[in-house]
Amino acid sequence: MNLLVLMIALPLLAAFLLSIIDRASSFAARVIGPLVLLATAAIGLSVWSQLGDAPQAVQWGGFQAPLGITLYADQFGLLFALAMTIGTLLLWPRSTGNQLRSSSLALLLAGTGSGLALSGDLFNIYVFYELMTVVSYGLIASRGTSGSFASTLRYLVISGFGAALALAGIALVYQATGTLNLAQLAQVAPEKLNNLQGFAAFVLMLVGFGVKAELFPVNMWVPEVYATASSRVSALLAGVVSKLALLIIMRLLILVFHQPEALTVLLVLGILGVATGELAAWRARDLNRMLAFSSIGQLGVMFIALSIPGNAGIFAALAVAVHHLFLKPAMFLLAARWGGSIRRLCGAAKTSPVAAGLFVLLSLSLIGVPPLPGFWAKLLVIMPLLTLDQPLYYFAVFIILAAASLEANYLFRVVMKLYDKQPTAVPHKAHATADLATAVFLGGGLIAAVFMLVPLADRLDSIAAQATDVSTYIQTVAPQSLEGDVQ
Amino acid sequence: MRRFTAALFLIGLGVMIAAIYQHMDFSNTALNAGQAINSVAAQETGAANFVTSVVLAYRGIDTLLELTILFTAAMIGGMVLGKRRVDAPRDPDAGFILRTGADLLFPLLLVVGLYIILHGHLTPGGGFQGGVILASAFFLPLLARPGSSINQDVISIVEGLAGATFILIGLLAMSEGYEFLSPLFDKGELGALISAGSLPVLYLAVGIKVGSELAGLLAHLAEAEAVD
Repeated sequence: MNLLVLMIALPLLAAFLLSIIDRASSFAARVIGPLVLLATAAIGLSVWSQLGDAPQAVQWGGFQAPLGITLYADQFGLLFALAMTIGTLLLWPRSTGNQLRSSSLALLLAGTGSGLALSGDLFNIYVFYELMTVVSYGLIASRGTSGSFASTLRYLVISGFGAALALAGIALVYQATGTLNLAQLAQVAPEKLNNLQGFAAFVLMLVGFGVKAELFPVNMWVPEVYATASSRVSALLAGVVSKLALLIIMRLLILVFHQPEALTVLLVLGILGVATGELAAWRARDLNRMLAFSSIGQLGVMFIALSIPGNAGIFAALAVAVHHLFLKPAMFLLAARWGGSIRRLCGAAKTSPVAAGLFVLLSLSLIGVPPLPGFWAKLLVIMPLLTLDQPLYYFAVFIILAAASLEANYLFRVVMKLYDKQPTAVPHKAHATADLATAVFLGGGLIAAVFMLVPLADRLDSIAAQATDVSTYIQTVAPQSLEGDVQ
Repeated sequence: MRRFTAALFLIGLGVMIAAIYQHMDFSNTALNAGQAINSVAAQETGAANFVTSVVLAYRGIDTLLELTILFTAAMIGGMVLGKRRVDAPRDPDAGFILRTGADLLFPLLLVVGLYIILHGHLTPGGGFQGGVILASAFFLPLLARPGSSINQDVISIVEGLAGATFILIGLLAMSEGYEFLSPLFDKGELGALISAGSLPVLYLAVGIKVGSELAGLLAHLAEAEAVD
């Protein structure tokens, strides 16, 4: 028995019961969601503390893998499960009309996100991913404006398309191997998936799961959704949910797909993502859209990092992801009261000096100015790229550096407006205290990281090392061999 | 530009499918997991219908998630669909034949739905299929008499409790020292109505949840005002 499954089961239970609890006491319904997430975060942290170097595997229902479904907890998966739980807690949605339903959806998001990060079964990952997608529709639409409905519809169409592709990819894998358990796939992949069918399955799953990870050709939903959803929902989707989709792709890359062509695909799509995202952000005239496009660019950097073979790539991608995990939600929270055209932001720093100062700090880290964490994260990507000595990798370095200068240009355009001497005629609204406090907390985390760079880097390195340790994964899950049963 | 991208994508997809078709070994599909389950399912779960043993035991968590997807979709449907104005006109009642037919069918549909749910561990069928039939039992009277309505409060309580039952059975297994959603209770005699331990209880929860959610969603759709 392992308490880890409670990280998934408890939020689902609370979400089912929330409307019944609300009938008994609306106060209880308001506090129960955050309380459940606090409890699951505590469970996650306690498992984390006893995890150490030995990952744990739990079999749902006690059925041995590969017939049953495995839950695999290493530091890598648990880190993102905790990020999902704590992130939802920090960014608890505040909806005016739909508070009860928004709370249910937030609980479901936290539960499924944790499950997605910990799942060790390909089809189970797909189901978790589907559920997370449906929950995201609800969260975006919960704002209740016609704009949010329209963007949800667009997101729905693109996600549905992506899910179909991912399912086709999973079917190809199952056809070739007869198993869906990731540990068993890791055992048989070198023999059975190192061919064209395996490569096609990878591309289908990359594009399918890439929809949420804002991968280049399937990210058309990003700007509209982040511009129309409430800022807390945008922060959750851009900050945490996109990283979970990235985590699936990382797991697949580590365990199942080892073709060199897969890395080239990642590199090319990553470069295109950075280039298109940053150019679009540079042209954007609205802060939310600008942040949305810049997040496409950042995720492009993560895909470029993933294309580096070996441990270094996972380490670099993890560093950029964790940096982005702190930074993007804070930026979206600050943008909550700074929507609309950037020109209207003239002199906003006077009304909210703390928010403006924080925005400058976050911008500097996003661009990658030393000694802020963003610099080190980008350095971790660029250094191994330079040692690879291939033209396309050099080109990636060039694109990342060019993107940084573009980022500097458009972010400072916003900063200049914020500190403009002549304020606009319309008075600026101050930030809601909860939003600002959360943003300051996240920004504080970035500053704290500056002082703990070495231990932090060591920790991330060990997490990446554990994540890339395929033999430990197979030994921990220990799937039974099914070969003997074939007639 | 958009058409060009779409054409490019379709060509790429076509080439890929053709290439896979060339290489794929159709006669030699690996069905190892299925065969392994066939040989152990009866003994491990006690369900005569092996599909049920996969749905509720081996991959029970997937089923819980599918239920949750349905729950979420129904909730979002309730959130997005418009509320009816008080004075909005309603369609008149249907004719005598449809009204009488709906009244006569109601008990029959209930029995069929419950039968399919309760025999889910023995014969093809189960909570999802039976739940849909239950939903139609409650929705048919609504079609016959558009003026009447389903009590959404009751539905939300029933669906919440049914979903919670599924998870609580899983937690009960944990409290007894097994993993979450491990099969509980005596497995009984293979093929008997009362057998397979906790699986029929899980299927009953699935059936009631699916039925109430679908009925609620259909009622929401019926409630939405018609544009004249």
